[in-house]
Amino acid sequence: MSNSDQSHMKQDCSNKRDCLEMLQLILDGEATHEQKEHFLKHHLDECLPCYKNYHLELKIKELLKTKCCGGQAPSDLVEQIKNKIGAA
Amino acid sequence: MELEEAPKQHYSEEEKQNIFNNEFMPHIHSMYNFGYRLTLDADDSKDLVQDTYLKAYRFIESFQKGTNAKAWLFRILKNSFINDYRKKSKEPSKVDYQEVETYYNSEEVDRQITPDLRVEALKDMIGDEISNALNALDVDFRTVIILCDLEGFKYDEMAKILDIPIGTVRSRLHRARNLLKEKLSEYAKQMGYKTT
Ligand SMILES: [Zn+2]
Ligand SMILES: [Zn+2]
Repeated sequence: MSNSDQSHMKQDCSNKRDCLEMLQLILDGEATHEQKEHFLKHHLDECLPCYKNYHLELKIKELLKTKCCGGQAPSDLVEQIKNKIGAA
Repeated sequence: MELEEAPKQHYSEEEKQNIFNNEFMPHIHSMYNFGYRLTLDADDSKDLVQDTYLKAYRFIESFQKGTNAKAWLFRILKNSFINDYRKKSKEPSKVDYQEVETYYNSEEVDRQITPDLRVEALKDMIGDEISNALNALDVDFRTVIILCDLEGFKYDEMAKILDIPIGTVRSRLHRARNLLKEKLSEYAKQMGYKTT
């Protein structure tokens, strides 16, 4: 999280619904260049709830990726599949 | 069965083996994780993944070489899960028609903009908290998080894998993440974090 001074930021978001939708698009890499530019460079600088949400969502996404995948399929499963297909 | 409506292909036995080994098998670990997160059972997920790969081989001529094998395989696995496992467990789908509505409800939006969870609390979740929270979600919500956040599928790919419109993908994902945050904030409270 950046150490930007938060005292000047708005405590309430003026455009909640749109911002929530925008945040999701950005998080998932589905936003356009203009949307990213507006939200990440302008809106996050001035809106505290959106700033906090953005960093929260990023952290959750990162945790999901590191904690919930990366495991290996059991080797006997891999062998079984290969055997069945090889014999097909 | 096919993800894109590709015309039926014709492959030699050797080509089939090549596609299977070089395009399908590299996804085995992601497929197993998907199967495991859907069934929450090691034996069931093995069966599910094996069935999926055998089906994929049987219908290999519906797959166009060099296209999105991962999405194609995920779609077969998800369909097998719905047909073979969900029926067995008789678990009705709890995702209802309110999902789009809830997304746009203004009280809900007010609540979502200030979630009951802080990023600091997440830093202490170094064990199984996230994984348990994910597994505790209803399977339809779990699925969109797996596809998007774990596997990195794009919305249009998810729409094809799940046979739902992109708008539904987005609203379901949005709701799934809110439910996940609720679970995580329960853990945060148990860990002694004060919520805002
Ligand atoms: Zn805002
Ligand atoms: Zn904005």
